[in-house]
Amino acid sequence: MKNIYIIGAMACLLSACKPSVNITTPPSAGDVDFTNYMAIGNSLTAGYADNSLTVSGQLNSYPQRLFEQFSLVGAKGPFIQPLLVSDIGYPGPKKVMGYTYGYCTHDTSMGPVDYPTWVSEPRDAETYLSGVNNNQINNVAVPGIRVVDYPVAGYASAFNPYAKRFYKDPSKRPLDELQYRVSNLSPTFFTMWMGANDVLGYATAGGQGDGTGNASPSIPGFNLYNNNDISPIKAFTDNYDSILRVARSSGADGALINIPDVTSIPFFTTVPANGLTLTRQGQVDSLQALYARAGFDKVFQLGANYFIVQDHNGNTRQAVPGELILLTVPQDSIKCKGWGSIKPIPAQYVLTTDELQNIRNNTKLMNEIIKARSVREHLAYVDMNTYLGTISKGITYNGIKYTAEYVTGGAFSLDGVHLTPRGYALVANEILRTINEFYHATIPYTDVNKYPGIKF
Amino acid sequence: MKKHFLAASLVLSAFSSFGAAYQLNLQGLRQLAMGGTGAAWPWDASTIYYNPGGLARLHGIQVYASALAIMPSTGFANQSTSGNQSTATRSIDQTFVPFSVYVGGPIQQDSKFAVGMGIYTPAGMGLKWDDNWLGKYIVQDIQLKAVCFQPTISYRISDLLSVGGGFVYTTGTLDLKQAMAVHGQAGPNYDDGQAKLHGTASGVGFNLGVQMRVREYLQLGFTYRSQINMSIGSGTAEFTVPASLRSTFPNTNFDSQLPLPQVATIGIGVRPVEALTIQFDLNYTGWNSYDSLRINFKDHTSGLKDMHAPRQYKNTLTPRIGANYKISKIVSVMLGGAFDPTPVKSGFVSPDLPDGNRAVITWGAAIKPLRGFTILASFESTSTSVHDESYDYGGFSGAYKTQAFTTGLGIYYNF
Repeated sequence: MKNIYIIGAMACLLSACKPSVNITTPPSAGDVDFTNYMAIGNSLTAGYADNSLTVSGQLNSYPQRLFEQFSLVGAKGPFIQPLLVSDIGYPGPKKVMGYTYGYCTHDTSMGPVDYPTWVSEPRDAETYLSGVNNNQINNVAVPGIRVVDYPVAGYASAFNPYAKRFYKDPSKRPLDELQYRVSNLSPTFFTMWMGANDVLGYATAGGQGDGTGNASPSIPGFNLYNNNDISPIKAFTDNYDSILRVARSSGADGALINIPDVTSIPFFTTVPANGLTLTRQGQVDSLQALYARAGFDKVFQLGANYFIVQDHNGNTRQAVPGELILLTVPQDSIKCKGWGSIKPIPAQYVLTTDELQNIRNNTKLMNEIIKARSVREHLAYVDMNTYLGTISKGITYNGIKYTAEYVTGGAFSLDGVHLTPRGYALVANEILRTINEFYHATIPYTDVNKYPGIKF
Repeated sequence: MKKHFLAASLVLSAFSSFGAAYQLNLQGLRQLAMGGTGAAWPWDASTIYYNPGGLARLHGIQVYASALAIMPSTGFANQSTSGNQSTATRSIDQTFVPFSVYVGGPIQQDSKFAVGMGIYTPAGMGLKWDDNWLGKYIVQDIQLKAVCFQPTISYRISDLLSVGGGFVYTTGTLDLKQAMAVHGQAGPNYDDGQAKLHGTASGVGFNLGVQMRVREYLQLGFTYRSQINMSIGSGTAEFTVPASLRSTFPNTNFDSQLPLPQVATIGIGVRPVEALTIQFDLNYTGWNSYDSLRINFKDHTSGLKDMHAPRQYKNTLTPRIGANYKISKIVSVMLGGAFDPTPVKSGFVSPDLPDGNRAVITWGAAIKPLRGFTILASFESTSTSVHDESYDYGGFSGAYKTQAFTTGLGIYYNF
């Protein structure tokens, strides 16, 4: 061992002491042909962030990061995403950090606000054509789309402005569009991150609808399900299989990414359920008296109290530990209109224990299906549910600690649901890690900190 | 509620800082050229540093001055992201110029009592990376400089035994820079903030030594240098951040402690033939006496909190060997080497101190052109192997290799 050091020291004399550390593991593709890469997914795959879609968001999507790394092991460009023209948000304004004046609290504070001078950019709504290789598109992700939306004819034209922009024929089914894109590109490798919206719509609506995973179509006879409900497991499974079959019709290898635990994202964890702070005994006594008159016993105390909420059956009660209040709850109404104290917080802003159980149970069931498909089809299975769970606890990457904390955590964008460019780069690295392991590849990782975080 | 949006989260990573890489062992040129050995034999007035007990064995008052140029360089690559070639990098070239000045010796011819004064640099190094390198949120630039003043007395109890001791006053500066992950809304996508810390430090300690002349051809030395707690009272911390975060990161003051570790040394010197002296030294360095660089800010906000990274230094044993061969009355040559193990445990190796086990080889020459007058030239080459390290606290890892080349020139004159 010492000999090596001495040789090193001798070498220093000759080369004027300029050490260089060489790369010992060359990038390799392992068992996979990465030539043509296609990304299938929803808003998380499209690069949606800060409550909107922007061109810089698209250019910081995780498929963009993956392509850059895949290109080191044989992926061929260009990597085409249906880019927007504007960078201020489509079809609505993106959120930025800004100052707001609270008319009820009479103070100015800093936080996420809508892009102040937003006007819609007509060119964004025009049909997107890449103009490359028979209008090739590599990232076919559609914000908002669910697995159960794939068999719905006219989905793009009727329900989804993002899909409408770039679908070849918006009157057809998303599944037909995917078939067209696959035959057009002939992907040799694909990633598919589908399913989050099949539970998220229910969660962000504060748990409306049935929630059991057995919902019936909104209109009998049509395959159309309520956006504010959890997709039925049967329909989820059938359509996941259909999408997968089409995605693999050119024989591509790929990675299936599972559904995150949507209840651990800042959208649900930022406003504390016990955020009713009482500082005077008078407040305690009058609330006590109010609810005694209303006929039920509530226990209030000085300090932190659980909010008074309405559950989805219309009952007024006090929230219990573990229940979640949505980020979208109007703060002015809590501060100045007695929401959560003398009036209940409406059900649409509350996830109760039952609703949370519905979300978790169905996420688990759907992820079991995704995992089973990965096994059946010999595809890599990316456990993003677990990985994003570790971000909730905090992970440190090259000196930066990323957490799931709203705004300051660095991983989640200003909408509390989607990720920052850095968050998406972390996601890309987790996918790469899984691909490297499953396909015996040594694809280098992306440098997460090269990309923007929250802009203050 | 919205006020709370900014009220959280640490955006500064703690500096870990300071260790063997910043400790210099260059206080005497002949000793440097002999692998850094010098506890057993009193070569010249630089024994004030190496063993104060040897000062009473010099022949008359001596004036000694030396200056060195150190050119360290560290290479880095993160293997897992290195497909992007940009991650392979090297620290920015810097040259450091430590120096030593000694005056001292027996107060009269054949006196048993000696006095002296030493001014030397126990630490004076830095590491500067490109501002945009992979580890920028941990460190961009760190510079640590110190000068010791050591008034010394020494007494020759008998031919066999002499003792000595000095009071050590140390003063120095610390400069740190790191990027902050706070981006403004204007400007390019990528527009980091920056934290800049500057402080002056001072501290006191002592340096004790015993030298034994067992035989004409065999000498022993024992020395103990105490730990010196360098304290920074009121350093300045400046933060470059977007205007909206100004109140979260106010420019402020900080205090800190930079301990220089205690070192105990055993030395053996043998002179099998008149022309040849061989020395062995063993340094035991008490690195574990402190655990990290802790920076306490005067003002605290939701974003600005005291910095502290966990650290578990281990004490080290450094063997050194060297020889001096007297070719003629005028010319001597020296050769030596050492193996300096790192005090930093794996999992704690940070890019502000990518320390590794170091192999040291040294050589030099002394020329005595005139009676009483000696010119010294010494060279040292230090190298670590390529070592894969991680800094778990900061989630940072990579392979490092550090090399340094040192050139020293000095003179002394015997009155």
